[in-house]
Amino acid sequence: MKDRGDQSAGQALAFHSKDFLKWCDEVLEGILRRSPVGSGLDYITKDFFNWATRNSLYFLHFGIMCCALEMAVASAPRFDQQRFGIIPRSSPRQCDVLLVNGPVSKKLKPVLRRLYDQMPEPKWVIAMGECAISGGPFYNSYSVVPGVDQFIPVDIYIPGCPARPEALIDGFLKLQVMIKENRKGLLTGK
Amino acid sequence: MAEMWINMGPQHPMTHGLWNLRVKVDGETIVDAQPEVGYLHRGIEKLCEGKTYPQIIPLADRLCYGSSLTWSHLYCMAVEDLMNVEVPERAEYIRVLTIEMQRIVSHLMWLAAYAGDLGLGVGFVYTMREREVFLDLFQALTGARITYNFPRIGGVAHDLPPNFERDTLRAISYFEGRLKEYEDLFEGSKIFMMRNVGVGILKKEDAINMGVTGPTLRASGVSYDLRKDRPYSVYEEMNFNVVTHKDCDCYARYRVRMDEMWESCQIMKQALKKMPKGKVRIVSPRNAPVGTGLARVEDPRGEGMMYIVGDGTDKPYRVKIRSPIFVTVSAAPKILIGYKVADVVAIMGGLDMCIGETDR
Amino acid sequence: MRDRVVAMAERGRSDQKEDMEKAPSRIDAVPEEKLIRALMNAFPEAITGFTKLKEGFVRAKLDRREIAKACKYLRDELGFEHLSMISAVEYDDRFEIVYHITSYQNKLLLELITRTPKDDPSVDSVSSIWGGANWQERESYDLMGIMFNGHPNLERILLPKDYTFHPLRKDFKG
Repeated sequence: MKDRGDQSAGQALAFHSKDFLKWCDEVLEGILRRSPVGSGLDYITKDFFNWATRNSLYFLHFGIMCCALEMAVASAPRFDQQRFGIIPRSSPRQCDVLLVNGPVSKKLKPVLRRLYDQMPEPKWVIAMGECAISGGPFYNSYSVVPGVDQFIPVDIYIPGCPARPEALIDGFLKLQVMIKENRKGLLTGK
Repeated sequence: MAEMWINMGPQHPMTHGLWNLRVKVDGETIVDAQPEVGYLHRGIEKLCEGKTYPQIIPLADRLCYGSSLTWSHLYCMAVEDLMNVEVPERAEYIRVLTIEMQRIVSHLMWLAAYAGDLGLGVGFVYTMREREVFLDLFQALTGARITYNFPRIGGVAHDLPPNFERDTLRAISYFEGRLKEYEDLFEGSKIFMMRNVGVGILKKEDAINMGVTGPTLRASGVSYDLRKDRPYSVYEEMNFNVVTHKDCDCYARYRVRMDEMWESCQIMKQALKKMPKGKVRIVSPRNAPVGTGLARVEDPRGEGMMYIVGDGTDKPYRVKIRSPIFVTVSAAPKILIGYKVADVVAIMGGLDMCIGETDR
Repeated sequence: MRDRVVAMAERGRSDQKEDMEKAPSRIDAVPEEKLIRALMNAFPEAITGFTKLKEGFVRAKLDRREIAKACKYLRDELGFEHLSMISAVEYDDRFEIVYHITSYQNKLLLELITRTPKDDPSVDSVSSIWGGANWQERESYDLMGIMFNGHPNLERILLPKDYTFHPLRKDFKG
C-alpha cells in the first residue's frame, strides 16, 4: 500500500513491488557494480568465490540422447564425478552449467533457449557428443539443428559418439581450469 | 476444486527421456493426461533412404540407445529377409548371446533410473556397478559401451575374443548372486513397495487392445513373448520360461523384469555351451531385390518390427520402424487416470520408456 | 507389511500356471488355410491376392472401402487382437498402406496391403477397433500425409504443429 505522507528514509518500504525492484536495481547496481565499493569487494573476494564456483559446478538434469546415459553413468560408482563437486540439479535456477548431450531438433530449440535464459549468471555451456557439436550422424536431417552453438554460446566441446564418462569428467576439469584463468569477479563480472 | 493443466516436462528430473506429459489435475488426482512426444525426432526413416544398407547399421543403433544391439540386429534380420541371406550358425549363437546380455544391461539401466526416481538412491548406485561388469564384456567384444555397431548383414562383425567364454561365465555367476540381494533390497523397502503395489493397474483387455507389448503386457497376465511364440534366430534351441504375473500393477512389471534378467542368464549359459565352430559372417549382396522384408524381435521394451522395401539398388526405398514404446506411451492416459500426481513417476517409470525409439 | 506384499507376489506367480488364458475368440487354432478360406468367404471381392509367405505369415490385398468392416471381422470373429504396425509407402502412382495384424492365440501374422490413388490418399481409420492404431495413424499423417477418416484427433505428433511439409514424401528434399 503506497503511503504518500511518508517521504523520509523509510521511503523504500512504501513502494509497490515493481517500483521496489526498480529502486533496488538502481541503488544496488550503483553501489555494487558501478562504484569503487563493488570493485573493491570483488578484488578481495574474487579468488575465494572463483575457487568455490569451480569446485561445485552444478549441471542441469537434462538428458537428450545416448550421451545422457554416459552423463548418468558418470555419477555412478566407477567414475564418480561427485568427488569433483559436480552434482546434477533439477531446476535451471540452481545450475551453473548447461550440459547439452544430444541432437537438438527444431521442436526442442525454443525449449533449450528458454532453459538457457532461465539460468542465472555466471553460467557456462558444455556441448557433449558429436550431435551437440555439429549434428553428429544426423547432420543432414530435415529436423536436426546442426550444432548447438547456432543459438547458444558454447564454452567447452567434448567430442565422442557417445563421449565416454572419463571424457565428460575431463571436460569439466578443463572448464575448471578455464574459470580459474578467467578470474571473473562475481559482483562486477570483470 | 479448480482443475488445471500441469506440464511435466520436457525438462524434468525423471530421467526417462525427453517428452512432455500434460496432466489435468483436480487437486492431486489426475483427471486427464496427454503425452507429447517428438522432441527427439531426427528423421531416421528419411535418412535411411539416402544411405547404403551397411551404412544404416550405426543409425539403427541410435534408435534406442538403452538396448541398441536389439535394434541393429532387427535391422540386419529385416535386410536378410529381403535379400534372402542365410546366416551361419555360429553367428546366430553369438547374436543370441549378445542380445540377452543387452537385455540384462537394459533392464539394469531401467532399474537404476526407477530406483533413483522413487527415492531409493542406493538402488541406482548398486545396479550401475553391476552394469559396468557387462559393459566391460561388451567393450572387450565390440569396442564400445553403448552403441556397438556389431551386427552385420550376413552375421556379426568378428568372432569372440580369447577368454570371452570364461569371463562371461564368471560375470553371470557373480550377477546371479547379486540379483538375489537386489530382490531383498527392493522388496524390503517399505516405501518402494507402497509406491508400487496397487498403483497403475492396466487390465488385460485394455493392454491387448491398446497394442501394449513386452513386460508391461506380460505383467497384465498375457503370455506372449516373440522368442517363444514366433522364434527367430536360434531361440528354438533354448530352454527358458516366459515370465508373467497376474496383478497388473507397477509391482508386477518390476517383478517380470527381475525374473527376465534371471532367464536371460540361463539363455546365455546355454548359448555358450551349444555354440558350434564355424564362420561368423558371409558376404551379402550389394543390391537388394525388388520386394519387402519384415523382421520382429522381442526388444526389452516390447515388440519391435522393421519393414523394408527394396527397389533393386543398394539403397532402401522405404524403412518403417515399429517402436514398442510409441504405442505404450499412447496407452498412458488409461493407466494414469485416477491416481495422484506423485504416482506418475512410478507408473511412467515402470513402462521403461526410451524416447529415442519413440521419436525416431 | 513386507510379508503381506511378498505373499501377494507369490500368489500372483503361482496363479499364472493355471490361468494362462489368452483373449477369447470364436474360432480355435486357425492355421493359414482356414484363415484364408474364412476371409474369402466373408469378403469375396474386397480381399484378394492371398500369399502364404512363411509359416504363420499370410499376405493379402484389401480394397480400401472395406477396411472398417474387414478389420472388425478380423478382431471379433477371427481373434486378431493385436495391431502391430501401420506403414505408409509412396510409389510412383499410388500410396500403399500396410497393416500388420497379429493373433496371439493362433500365432498368426496377417499383412493387409491397401492402395490409394496418389491424389486422394485417404482411408478409414481403425482406431475405434484397435486403440493402438491411434498414434500410428497420426504418425502416418504427420510424416506421409495420409488422411484417416474418422480419427478422433488427427494432428501432428512428431513434428512441430506449424510444420507445413510431409517429410517422407519423395518430393521433399530435406
